Amino acid sequence: MRTTLRLAAVVTVSALAVTGCGFGGQGSSSSGDDAAQAGTTTLDLLVPSYSDATKANWEKVISGFQAQNKDVKVNLEVQSWDNINDVVRTKVQSNKAPDILNIDAFSGFAKDGLLYKATDVASPQTISDFQDSFKQNASIGSDMMAFPFIASTRALFYNKDLLEKAGVSAPPKTWDELLAAAKKVNALGGGVYGYGMPLGNEEAQAETSLWTFGNGGSWSDGDKITVTTPQNLEAVEYMQRMVQEKATQPNPGASDRTPMLNVFIQGKIAMAAGLPPILAQIKDKNPSLNLGTAPIPTKDGSPVTLGVADHLMAFQKDGSKKAAITKFVDYFFSKDVYSAWVAAEGFLPTTKSGAEQASSKPELKDFLTSLPTAKFYPSSNEAWSATQGALQSQIGQIAQGKSPKSVLDAVQAKADAAS
Amino acid sequence: MTTSTAPRSRWRASAAAGPWLGPALALILAVVIFPAAYMVWVSTREISGFGVDRGGAGLENYRRLLRFEAIGQVLTNTVVWVVGVVLLTVFISLGLAQFLDKAFPGRQLVRLAVIVPWAASVVMTSTVFVYGLDPFYGIINRFLVDLHVLSEPYGFTQRPVSAFLVSMGIAVFVSLPFTTYTLLAGLQAIPGDVLEAAQVDGAGPAAAYRRVVLPMLRPALAVATIINIINVFNSLPILRTVTGSLPGYDADTTTTLTFKFIQADRQIGTASALSVVNFVLVLTVIAVYLRVVRPMRED
Repeated sequence: MRTTLRLAAVVTVSALAVTGCGFGGQGSSSSGDDAAQAGTTTLDLLVPSYSDATKANWEKVISGFQAQNKDVKVNLEVQSWDNINDVVRTKVQSNKAPDILNIDAFSGFAKDGLLYKATDVASPQTISDFQDSFKQNASIGSDMMAFPFIASTRALFYNKDLLEKAGVSAPPKTWDELLAAAKKVNALGGGVYGYGMPLGNEEAQAETSLWTFGNGGSWSDGDKITVTTPQNLEAVEYMQRMVQEKATQPNPGASDRTPMLNVFIQGKIAMAAGLPPILAQIKDKNPSLNLGTAPIPTKDGSPVTLGVADHLMAFQKDGSKKAAITKFVDYFFSKDVYSAWVAAEGFLPTTKSGAEQASSKPELKDFLTSLPTAKFYPSSNEAWSATQGALQSQIGQIAQGKSPKSVLDAVQAKADAAS
Repeated sequence: MTTSTAPRSRWRASAAAGPWLGPALALILAVVIFPAAYMVWVSTREISGFGVDRGGAGLENYRRLLRFEAIGQVLTNTVVWVVGVVLLTVFISLGLAQFLDKAFPGRQLVRLAVIVPWAASVVMTSTVFVYGLDPFYGIINRFLVDLHVLSEPYGFTQRPVSAFLVSMGIAVFVSLPFTTYTLLAGLQAIPGDVLEAAQVDGAGPAAAYRRVVLPMLRPALAVATIINIINVFNSLPILRTVTGSLPGYDADTTTTLTFKFIQADRQIGTASALSVVNFVLVLTVIAVYLRVVRPMRED
């Protein structure tokens, strides 16, 4: 009897100790503590951290805003990109959604009916200043549901010295040229590699998109997620060929983007797809790198690149903070405030007035000119988040020898399960 | 007469203890029982990828889990992970504890050194290994190449099998301090005269260890094993840090798979179902362990 009791006690206690660890992370911020002050509205602003300076950049915006609007108080919460999706999910689940959120995809929140229409929480002038392609990318049907926040496009970064050493005179424009050039660099030996292909979890969907878009492929037919199209399959097969013919760094399937680009910055990889903030990193970490930028190579050389836009969105909740949100959005997207923010983080602006201001910077020229050819993720499709997750966690298997078709089929299955 | 008063007075004693037990019980209810129940509840709901509850789902989340193509591989990995790490840890710790139990100059320092992996954050320890094993700039890879053990750097953490083995190594490394100290405490509780008596009766060192020391270590071994099983089973940081960027599910245990369901697939319901399964699995493993090994018996 005593043993049984003790047995039961040990089992229960240990088991409960196990589950006790699985719950947490909700609502640490206390919103509305100042709401008691007559007429003051508190806005919770949740943003991801783009760089070490993100928090300070936001604080500058907020103090400028609060100086002009004494009746609105903004609570800033900064989260890492690794965590922000979980944080938002937990907050939404426990009815503590932020008032304004900066994140990549907005459509899931919009489909769940959580968001204000963008046109309801910004003045017509603010809305009309956004570039049309971005506005469309932020809309579901004819309703604009989020504000295009910042943009980036990809370009081919190449190490002029390494290419020259390998006898490649000009940066490649087509896949075949890329394969040939990269193989020549790999043949140099001594720990240098031709093409950096990051298919690890971090951002494998971006690298894959560069290839599929470069073959005229797409992740969506406008309605459904389409992963297994012939164009996508051909592109992924070519990616596998790059790996099998030893044109890439070793183990591309497990290489994350950031460590791979660090190796590029160290001068050991000849070519890799890069984005605007990397320019600043190179200047900072290895200014002697002889860097060139060129359009992303595609199958037939016609220009196309991956554009990524992050969004700002406003949560409806009980609908009481509409006026304050509008004030904040209008303030943030006003020309000077917005341009300063975008320039500080090294991204591309999504507004017309911002683009004018940025065009004066020569290092951004390649990126700004590629904006018109940029193709975006189908992020207005609610199944895209799961598709992106599946691409991140599965596509690298092609580098371990799994057949491209079966990998794409598996990704498609995840997409179908989510829609 | 006596039969009826005994329970009543015991009940009265419990009631008197109430005010002192209350706060602790309330705490357990709030931070242990409630989350556990909530987890079970969520596993029967259909939750959108963005956290909105769309209503009851019955057992659909569990069915989806069973249909998941890699579930067999993941369960096998989990068994290898738990059994391998716990066995190795306990085995090495038995030796270490024996060694630290002997008096020798500098024993204090060695004992302190054994604690270090315990004091360091697990994520930090794993990250150090990941950087060290990096094929491009890892110091361990460089060392092996310079010693001509390897002809060129090897991506230890970039292939599923080697990455999984590396993770197991790290798990053993960080589990050793606690296990060693638990066993060491057990060893020190064994009175010297018992060992002397064994010697007098003609037992050699091996027989004395097997027939006297090990049986007396039983309670300490039980604690060390159970806590290690739970810890290792639920260990997320090591595998996340080392194998997190690997594609596919070749290096996943049920715990890391739970996170992939949440973060990559946005399937909160399926993840909760897997958590419940995880919970039941640990319960079963511990119950079986206690039944078979009977570490708590006092004969």
